[in-house]
Amino acid sequence: MKAIPVARLASTLGALCAGALMLSTVAQGADPIKIGIPVGLSGANSVVAPSVVQSAELAVEEINAKGGILGRKVVLEVADDGSGAAGAQKAFDSLLFQKKVDAIITMETSAARNAGLPIVTRAKKPFIYTSFYEGRSCNKYLYVNAWVPDQQVAPVVDYFMKKYNSKTYFLIGSDYAYGRGMLAFTRKYAESKGGKILGEEYLPMDGTDWTAIISKLKAAKPDALITSTAGGAPNVTLTKQLRAAGVNIPYGNLAVDEGTAKSMGADADGIYISGSYLTNIDSAKNKEFMAAMQKKFGADLKTPNDLSVPQYEGVYAYKAAVEKAGSTDTDKVIKALGEVAVEGPRGKIQMNKQRHAPLTIYLGQVQKDGNVKLLETFKDVDPGEQCPNIK
Amino acid sequence: MAQILDIITTAAILYVVCAGLLIVFGVMKIINFAHGGFLTVGGYSALLVTKMGWHPWWGIPVSFAIGCVCGMVIERLVVRPLYARPLDAILATWGLGIIIGQLITLGFGREVQFVQSPVRGAIDFAGASYSQYRLILVGAAIVLGLALSAALNGTRLGLQTRAVIMNENLARGLGINSGLVRFITFTLGAGLASLAGALITPLSSVDPNLGVPWLVGAFMLVMVSGMSLVSLAIACLVLGGAQVLVSTYGNPVLGGLTIVVLAALLLRLRPQGFARE
Amino acid sequence: MNDAPAAAAAVGVNAVTPRPRSDARLVLGLAAAALVLVAIGPYLLPDFLINNLIRGFLYAAVALTVDILWGYTGILTFGQSAFFGIGAYAAGLSFTHLGFGLGIAAFALVGGIAVAALVALVIGWLAFYHGASPLYASVITLVLPIIVAQILYSGGTFTGSSSGLSGFESFDLSLQIWFWIAGVFLVVLTSAAWLFVRSDAGRVLIAIRENEPRCEYLGINVSRLKIVLMVVCAIVAAVAGYAFACVQMVIAPEYAGFVFGTELVIWVALGGRGTLIGPVIGTLLIDTSTAYLSGSLPFIWKLVVGLAFVIVIVALPRGFAPLIGRVFRPRRAEADARGEVPMLRASAKPARTDRESAQTRALDLNAVTKHFGSLRVLDGIELQADHGELLSLVGPNGAGKTTLIRCVSDGGERSSGSVRVNGHDIERRAPYQCVAYGVGRKFQNANTFDALSVAQSLRIARSRLQRPSLWSRAATLALPEGALKVMQATGLDRMLGVEVRHLAHGQKQALELAMVLAMEPSVVLLDEPTAGLTRPERQLIGSVLVELTQQQRLCIVLVEHDLDFVREISSRVVVLHQGRIVLDGTVAQVVESELVRTIYSGGSAMSGAHA
Repeated sequence: MKAIPVARLASTLGALCAGALMLSTVAQGADPIKIGIPVGLSGANSVVAPSVVQSAELAVEEINAKGGILGRKVVLEVADDGSGAAGAQKAFDSLLFQKKVDAIITMETSAARNAGLPIVTRAKKPFIYTSFYEGRSCNKYLYVNAWVPDQQVAPVVDYFMKKYNSKTYFLIGSDYAYGRGMLAFTRKYAESKGGKILGEEYLPMDGTDWTAIISKLKAAKPDALITSTAGGAPNVTLTKQLRAAGVNIPYGNLAVDEGTAKSMGADADGIYISGSYLTNIDSAKNKEFMAAMQKKFGADLKTPNDLSVPQYEGVYAYKAAVEKAGSTDTDKVIKALGEVAVEGPRGKIQMNKQRHAPLTIYLGQVQKDGNVKLLETFKDVDPGEQCPNIK
Repeated sequence: MAQILDIITTAAILYVVCAGLLIVFGVMKIINFAHGGFLTVGGYSALLVTKMGWHPWWGIPVSFAIGCVCGMVIERLVVRPLYARPLDAILATWGLGIIIGQLITLGFGREVQFVQSPVRGAIDFAGASYSQYRLILVGAAIVLGLALSAALNGTRLGLQTRAVIMNENLARGLGINSGLVRFITFTLGAGLASLAGALITPLSSVDPNLGVPWLVGAFMLVMVSGMSLVSLAIACLVLGGAQVLVSTYGNPVLGGLTIVVLAALLLRLRPQGFARE
Repeated sequence: MNDAPAAAAAVGVNAVTPRPRSDARLVLGLAAAALVLVAIGPYLLPDFLINNLIRGFLYAAVALTVDILWGYTGILTFGQSAFFGIGAYAAGLSFTHLGFGLGIAAFALVGGIAVAALVALVIGWLAFYHGASPLYASVITLVLPIIVAQILYSGGTFTGSSSGLSGFESFDLSLQIWFWIAGVFLVVLTSAAWLFVRSDAGRVLIAIRENEPRCEYLGINVSRLKIVLMVVCAIVAAVAGYAFACVQMVIAPEYAGFVFGTELVIWVALGGRGTLIGPVIGTLLIDTSTAYLSGSLPFIWKLVVGLAFVIVIVALPRGFAPLIGRVFRPRRAEADARGEVPMLRASAKPARTDRESAQTRALDLNAVTKHFGSLRVLDGIELQADHGELLSLVGPNGAGKTTLIRCVSDGGERSSGSVRVNGHDIERRAPYQCVAYGVGRKFQNANTFDALSVAQSLRIARSRLQRPSLWSRAATLALPEGALKVMQATGLDRMLGVEVRHLAHGQKQALELAMVLAMEPSVVLLDEPTAGLTRPERQLIGSVLVELTQQQRLCIVLVEHDLDFVREISSRVVVLHQGRIVLDGTVAQVVESELVRTIYSGGSAMSGAHA
């Protein structure tokens, strides 16, 4: 009734308003539950984003095949966040206010997550963040099911101390929140275990010339090296230049994933990595998941990883929470999210520690052929104090 | 000792990366913002060589050839119409940089690629163990510098090019086909940039943004060098050296800004930079 | 001194002075229409678009500053994002670390503006020194956001590093109100910018873009003007950034970064640089459509933007807006030509010149030497000239005549020696400072502003003496007698509305001469002022010059190849040869000199009227 005069007026207001109106009057789908995935289809995260979308697609397909959530069909809405804050604002706006999604479940850069949070707050919808990050991001609507420094660092340092009796460490990172956050924690942890940090050096995020830092590293002669660079290029340049400089001490890389390790070829040989997921975790759930992914995507399959698997589990966590709450009502779902546990490829996960989850952490070493050999498993590592002010 | 090697090898890498940009700047008086794109093209040329299963050293001629072809096409289509509008030429080449990056992304994907490296590891040099490939790059920079000087000083075209660098109007008045000189210069500049891209792959990652981090530093080095290959070498040594020293004794984050900040100040206080007059 | 009151009277006591013109009415109308759109926007538009447009409005405000700097003034800047970021971080950091309150909000705004202005000053000092190349300035603006972003990255938990900061408290206003605030901000800003660029002062920007050296030699302190402009644009960008942080409650380094800086340039280029409206619409459209399209085709979209950008730069340097606006264009252009011609009148003659001429020597050159490397172009020139002299510099090509002119009009030119103008030592001062001492220089080839009209060009030549209005166009153009006579002699007085690019070469020469005289210089350096003029025109100009020397006691230094012309009007002739003065005497002495004959026959040919 109201739409007619409004539309007539709009037609005189130029293409911009008119276009917008058309979009707003598109009929809303009757009843499905919509899950929004703002993700870096372009920009820095575009390498990993397709695998994240794939695992979410699998989760939704499985859920719908079994009758959906509370009898409602689940649909995905994917939007590109450009891997940054400006793009994320557009993506969150469009998902929450245009597509009117019921929840945001995604893996993003920290800048994109931070940019999205005020919009989530305004829209009052649950947000499950499925990317490992530097920790301590707290918001009424936010849950995190991936690891924080407190969980990832300890296994590497413990292993180096035990296996190589490493006492002295050198830390190298990219100058950004995650890099600094990880290494700050590493320093604290190693020192608390009697280790000594001989140097902690950073290069700007897009820096490619590690010469001076490597010379410092060689001069310091540490027992072991731990790095936390930005993913992709900086990680690869650092590793290549380390290898070219003949650095062969135990090397824990907190930013490398299985896929990148493979693309680095021989240079990655011997690197230690740790995380909450490796493709060869020996559990029924993981094998089932890998088989389903293989079946659904075949040759197009992007190797599942420590970012895409939490995404898969995040969708299931939301399902469990809605079913426990009995509706998609935000307050009820938020409460339920901390109470439900999901059994996924990474094991049983419950986001019950200040909005974060205790996780099983795996320590692996890259082999000559690029595959990762599982060395040790650390059960239910606690995320530590993340958001003490949130109930 | 290691520090002296760091400085020399850093300067050599910068020299290799900047040479193509310098000759374009010298002849055409424009900063080629697509330089980063050409570096990337070179990196991916090396990737092609790896994929073909050829020996990594083939990357050098292949990348040079591919870069030259790109340069020819771009000079004809984009740069030539903008001779009279240098600032627009900058913008257009910068847009080209975006296009090259996106085309590579569409063709090869956004992810980091693996390129076979011709040599690996460190060797003992002057009593210290040092990256073998970085030492090779010093040789490459010297060969490149000598070859360019020989071409500029020993050939007819080189002579004409130098005439255009000094005074284009006069050169044209003397019957030099400055259009041809520009065409060849841009082609060569693109080829050299691509070659540099291939040469740095053993030390860098190969991804669609390979060239970007080098870009601004290269601009500054070329601007302080005026138009001479010798002053470029001096600039690379002095500013590259400053970068190494600041990174070593100060902090590498500041080190990353050293070249641009010092070059900007230098140009303000001494507009001719490292050039003599 | 005596004729001053008479000249003032000649302006016409009873003449009705027309009121200055501005586009105020047109702008008010458009602004009102835009404000209505802004006012009803929130009621018509869906939520997500409102939020997108709030950002779009603020981005567009920054794009507007890029257009002013680049489109109008010719300063290609990649650095406006840095100022936007500074404003945003001023808000974000204050609210995060000090908490939110009205006092703190005010403090953050003032602080952000102050920091942005200070940074702009430093950048201006770096980029716009006298003689800096535009390329260098661009590269400096490119370095700025890189450094600012790096500082933000290094700020650890204080700045939030790469993650930025979010979740701070801010003004508790609804999106609707923010839409209005941002919308009104943009409309007011665009209107003000519109009035400014179409005002007399705004024309100076275009003059700088078209021909910066000419502006310097018209006495305009181009460096300072650019710095002031940079500071103002920085402040506007900082305010936009501040508002952005307040409404979005998030800050991240990318808002201060290089990529955003270059995106602004793309938006301005696609929208149409130098049109104000184009960049605003371009920004709103591209930013909004990115929200729609980048999701479905992330890589292709960027490729399309890149391609469009290159095509626009190569083929459509004015962007897409003028294509669309072409429908309205012819009418406007006509109005410009007919309606916008100011009334010419004689200006009051200042007393300054006369007093100076009575007491001091006009020109005093001591051992002036100029060399390029080992090549001496001028060698120990000693030359004095008084007011009331018309001194001709002659000599074969390459004798150093133009170089000598250059050394008198720009303190930075000579290698050694000293130059005094009206008793002032010019030291190493820039051309605009030499103009302040009384120097007026006409270049060898017609050196004018192609994109401006005759009247506008003259107005710019007057801007040192008559401060142009920042928002309107004066309806009269006051010129000194000499300039008026040159205009009348060449018929330029009937072509005031014509764009200079359409003038014939001789007319451009005359216009430049009129521009130089319009500055009311007391020492006039003329490098072949009559080349390209017809003989009658030349004679008229010659008589004007003689009159200026005799009645207004100007000191005129003339470089001429036309010896007949020299003979007719000069009071003294100086012969230069291979960088030295070989003869200095009266016309008769020079004409009869054996030496001069040898130089000319031995040097380059000087037969006939022209060399």
